[in-house]
Amino acid sequence: MNSLGNANTGSIDERGPMSELGAARGAPRATTPFAAALLAVPGILWMVLFLLGPLLMIVYVSFWTQKTFTIESTLTLKSWIFFFSSQTYLSALLTTLRIWLIVLVATFVVGYPVALYIGLFIRNKTIQTIVLVICVVPFWTSFLIRVLAWRPMLGTEGAVNLLLMKLGVISAPIDVLLFTEFSVIIGMTQIYVVFMVGPIAFMLSRIDHSLIEAARDLGAGTWRIFRTIIFPLSLPGVVTGAIFVSVMVLGEFATSAELSGRKVNMLGNIIVTQVGSLKWAFAAVAGVILTVLMGLVIAGLLRVVNLRKEL
Amino acid sequence: MTAILDLHGISKAYAGKPALRGLSLSVDRGAYVSMLGSSGSGKSTLLRIIAGFERPDAGDIRVDGRSVLGVGAHERGIGFVFQNFALFPHMTVFENVAFGLRHRVRGALRAEQEIRRRVEAMLDMVGLGGLGGRAIGQISGGQKQRVALARTLVTDPAIILLDEPLGALDANLRERMMVELRRIHRQLGITFLHVTGNEQEALAMGDRLTVLDNGAVAQLAEPDAVYNRPASARVARFLNCYNIFEGRIEDGRFRRDGLSLPCPKGAPRRAAEASYCVRFDRITIAEPGSAQPDEAAITARFVASEYDGPTITYFFAPPNGKAVEVEYHLSHHRPEEFAVDREYLLRWPAEDALVYA
Repeated sequence: MNSLGNANTGSIDERGPMSELGAARGAPRATTPFAAALLAVPGILWMVLFLLGPLLMIVYVSFWTQKTFTIESTLTLKSWIFFFSSQTYLSALLTTLRIWLIVLVATFVVGYPVALYIGLFIRNKTIQTIVLVICVVPFWTSFLIRVLAWRPMLGTEGAVNLLLMKLGVISAPIDVLLFTEFSVIIGMTQIYVVFMVGPIAFMLSRIDHSLIEAARDLGAGTWRIFRTIIFPLSLPGVVTGAIFVSVMVLGEFATSAELSGRKVNMLGNIIVTQVGSLKWAFAAVAGVILTVLMGLVIAGLLRVVNLRKEL
Repeated sequence: MTAILDLHGISKAYAGKPALRGLSLSVDRGAYVSMLGSSGSGKSTLLRIIAGFERPDAGDIRVDGRSVLGVGAHERGIGFVFQNFALFPHMTVFENVAFGLRHRVRGALRAEQEIRRRVEAMLDMVGLGGLGGRAIGQISGGQKQRVALARTLVTDPAIILLDEPLGALDANLRERMMVELRRIHRQLGITFLHVTGNEQEALAMGDRLTVLDNGAVAQLAEPDAVYNRPASARVARFLNCYNIFEGRIEDGRFRRDGLSLPCPKGAPRRAAEASYCVRFDRITIAEPGSAQPDEAAITARFVASEYDGPTITYFFAPPNGKAVEVEYHLSHHRPEEFAVDREYLLRWPAEDALVYA
């Protein structure tokens, strides 16, 4: 109430139980900060109940005591110590980091030229939209089918091997194509590249063509113009795309399981296995580490460019 | 003086629609040429072709006597100042101006000290000394215009093309920039080609004024010559200071349904189609029935007036045809009150009219 009975209300009489109504009626356009804050309540409630609460719960559970089939709320550091002293878990962490970095670079290398073509060279906005829609056509099929479709492509009797043998490039099928880290990376790059293309193409399409003409008029060649004008102006798109890809790849478990024959274990796979065998405390530790990792990656990427200023 | 820029027979069509039709133009070294054209007259296309952003379908462009048709925009040595300034938003004012020096294909500067010296000298020149560190978002429209100019000037182009450079500025700033542009031109002696759709700007800025019409040069002369003796009725229309009547000439008089006006000496005696032009400020408003011999006169109903400081414009409706405008310069006249819907006599000396047949 005190915050509402401000000097603007004027007379002392209005300050009372009814002042809230009076303020709401008296200022239909200049909404009070309080009324505006009400708009955020459903969202905040939702996030607290279903994100912040569970998140804190996971941190809490990671300190519980794990018995073979049960878990007790006695606080202990055992699960944490176990995670950091286990070769399996540490190598899963390293695998996650390695695959994330490789896929991030691969989606950028594959996606940037595509985005450049869509965003800068297709002048017609309608065609631009159509092409972007075509990029998301694979999403009309289920995620698992998109992953599994790589098996008949990369297997020893798969399409790639058959084609290479027919062409006489190889005499025996290459067997490292499937069920290796390589196939996991191929699969993830294909699935997530569109999340890199979209934001970059969007930023590129907003570049005023007269900037490029101005740079050329000032004597710069094509590569210089790309380096000094086009790429810096598309950077917010690159960072946005990188955040999308990073968050999704870091949390991956399905692609790595299906395309590696369960040989490649990422943190996500660890969580799935631990939850499956009712090891809630270990799963919670892996979950906390994964969340912190994502937080660090996003914070790091946001330092590259000030998104609030650019978008 | 020799021609620094020679355009010969430039044609360009977009999707079959011609924008330029065999345009030829020669610009003297060190001149300030303003080019007046309505939107769609092909003036922007022409600038883009000269700069090298577009290829003409036919014709030749010579800079300093050499054809530059096969030369890319980045190697032509022609500066272009964009209407929307096209400043690089992710760079400071300093970096914008330094861009050409640092990144040009030919003769890029490496020495940071030399770049700093030249950029700062140029910023001082356009009146932006000390603002080099500002971001583009932190400066005003007029300052952006100066940055755009400095960015181009610092690369020492042979010619500077200005595409409606004052169009994005408010009236007050426009006049200041007009003075500034003239000063900079005088100081540097670079050839300027200034395109505009504003007749006052075109008249004020150039040593020479080109009127572009329908994809070709309709007139090229000194501004006062264009103003006083437009080459055609169409040019007169662009200048936006002539009343133009369409009709025919019979026995040395211009006629149009009910209208009969004496023609100036030297006009044709007979023509099936003719345009009769009389400048807004050559007309006197008088009481009906006070017609003088040797003067042209029409009766028209007073409609409204528009006051704009030094002048006042009165609008009259003749019995048929479009409104006739009369402009009084208030240093010579006192503003007069006329009764709306009353008829007055508009008269002017026959010799002040221009007739095109």
